[in-house]
Amino acid sequence: MLRLLGVAAPLIGLAAVGAAFSQESSEQSAPPRASHSFMSSAQYTVPDVRLVRDDGKAVALPEEMNDGRPVVLNFIYTTCSTICPLMSQTLAQFDHELGADRGRVHLMSISIDPEEDTVARLHAYAQKFHAGPEWQHYTGTAQASLTAQRAFNVWRGDKMGHSSVTFVRAAPGTPWLRIEGFVTPGELLQQYHHLLEQSGATVATR
Amino acid sequence: MQPGAGESIYLRGVLPSGAPLEGKRQAAGLTTTGADAACVGCHQRSGLGTYEGYNFDVTIPPIAGPYLFHSREAHTQEAVLPYVPWMHSNRDPYTDATLARAIREGLDSQGRPLSALMPRFALSDADMDALIEYLKQLGSHPAPGVSERELHFATVITPDADPARRKAMLDVMDHYFADKNLFPIGNSLPLRTSGHGQQAKSMFMSHRLWRLHVWDLTGAASTWGAQLDAHMEREPVFALVSGLGGNNWAPVHQFCQRRQLPCLFPNVDAPLDNSHDFYPLYFSRGVLLEADLIARQIAYGAHAASAAPAASVLQVYRPGDGGEAAALALAAALKPLGIPVRNQPLAPASGAKGVREAVGQAQKSDVLVLWLRPADLADLGDAAAAPAVVYTSGVMGGLEQAPLPAAWRSRVRMTYPYELPEKRELRVKYALSWFSIRHIPVVDEPLQVNTYIACGLLAETLSHMADNLVQPFMIEMLQTSAERRLINTGYYPHLVLALNQHFASKGGYIVHFARPEGAQLVADSDWIVP
Repeated sequence: MLRLLGVAAPLIGLAAVGAAFSQESSEQSAPPRASHSFMSSAQYTVPDVRLVRDDGKAVALPEEMNDGRPVVLNFIYTTCSTICPLMSQTLAQFDHELGADRGRVHLMSISIDPEEDTVARLHAYAQKFHAGPEWQHYTGTAQASLTAQRAFNVWRGDKMGHSSVTFVRAAPGTPWLRIEGFVTPGELLQQYHHLLEQSGATVATR
Repeated sequence: MQPGAGESIYLRGVLPSGAPLEGKRQAAGLTTTGADAACVGCHQRSGLGTYEGYNFDVTIPPIAGPYLFHSREAHTQEAVLPYVPWMHSNRDPYTDATLARAIREGLDSQGRPLSALMPRFALSDADMDALIEYLKQLGSHPAPGVSERELHFATVITPDADPARRKAMLDVMDHYFADKNLFPIGNSLPLRTSGHGQQAKSMFMSHRLWRLHVWDLTGAASTWGAQLDAHMEREPVFALVSGLGGNNWAPVHQFCQRRQLPCLFPNVDAPLDNSHDFYPLYFSRGVLLEADLIARQIAYGAHAASAAPAASVLQVYRPGDGGEAAALALAAALKPLGIPVRNQPLAPASGAKGVREAVGQAQKSDVLVLWLRPADLADLGDAAAAPAVVYTSGVMGGLEQAPLPAAWRSRVRMTYPYELPEKRELRVKYALSWFSIRHIPVVDEPLQVNTYIACGLLAETLSHMADNLVQPFMIEMLQTSAERRLINTGYYPHLVLALNQHFASKGGYIVHFARPEGAQLVADSDWIVP
């Protein structure tokens, strides 16, 4: 069937952080499982594309991404009623659990359906998930969105190829953590703090 | 049991009590409520599910009754349910009790946990019964217009449609249907896999003959709904394909929604834009899209060197024509910006004098917007007193063939919600060659090419559906697969739909004529999605 193009992330000389297939075990019959997610570390070149933010402002992706804050990134579209609401809800809950640290992070959601996702629709979508000032949604031309998707190796031919992938990066220049599958808000928070600690340690030893 | 209670839970996420449905995704510790929690969001209106991800990373299985309750024993030698690529067949059939457990506790018929995506719903016994009843009847009604050997479609033509265009459209459709039926290859042999035969009979696909019924409507629009019902009683059809409207398509749109009949890509200038309606699909929002394009230009000051919004707008249209809906849409879009809009409807049968008088109402500082058909455009007359900025609807005015008087051509900017002529050559080439081989005269190129594309989308979608002749599934399959058509997209640069979307092309250009004569256009903008 459709199994030719694998989902191998561009691993560049970095060991995978580890496959985190967490599954609670219990004597009770069939406990609910925690998330199924696969994590890897990867370098991506942020493409120099112009996108339009959900406040209507035209922006350059590298500038948005490289303002020094840690970035959590995903790709969504607003009419998606299957996995996107869960992905966005996960980001929203993660954001909430950050508490006072929320001001330090930059959450970014890029539309993979930019012609449908006008600024007004993106704005309404962002509000539905109570996105604060630290969380922006982006649209733009179909080509710009495609370029961004290709740069992060998430484009799979069309929207139906969309899967749940979350990216986390501590600071510009450091590698991205790529999380495939459904990560829980708690796991995302844990990974985020871990990445920040690592990054802080790296800075301290320089 | 309250009538419609199950449907309300499934489609809207509203419990019979009026309270919102609530689902919990325990692993993530997240709660989903109301419309977001409704079953339809994932399992779709057809109940046949969907998928996400190139590798079918997430498969949302069919939950229409037959798929839940069909006995597993019958599968082993010969599966009989129509094949859906994302179906989960490796489990025992559900009972009412195990299904209720699946919905409440997230365990399948054999006690194994369901996907993390599937919420757990704490439904009362009565609400659960209502939902299970709804699931049982999903997929159990035979679709109209389907017999063992034939598949019936209709195309609707409203009485105000131009007879020459009617013939041009039917020429394409008749040839397409004749081609389709040229080699009636009969039922394909059941595919047999070695060993278990999981997909044996379920892959069985009959090749039915396509039958086209032409439903010509007559008289007043208020009677069309009843006429369509009468046609449907006499000649039940599975879907409406293409079609031709004049000034008003709303009664046909409403009929499709009311009868739950797919209504695929009619040739209409002013479709109804009601995002809640499921069954009608269109190539674009037509003049409503043009209104948004013009509103954007005016708001951003793209019409003037000063880049300031226009001071005021005058619109000219014929009451009752598609331009009226567009004029209303443009006025509504400009209202929040505080730009005053004056409307100048033409009196019936007012002729050239009426057109000139209406246009003459424009002040020099106005932006003049013309929602006029070719006959009225040809009557515009002298342009000496016309404002500097004039927009005209390409859809209504005939695109590059618009018969604008020479004096107007230099100042008119046209909305062009299609790919530009030089860029679409490859996109229309296949259709035009197909016409040429069959000696189909090209009377109206956009109309005929789009009709051909509509037939092509129908054929492709039916092949994806295999033998799953379920009407909402046809809409869902079109929505999820239209984007794969990369080149043969007719007059449009690309056709992009998704579940919950009903207009495939979402943008357009602003163009002007290159010279005082001829059809050559110059684009003033990139492809704009307003």
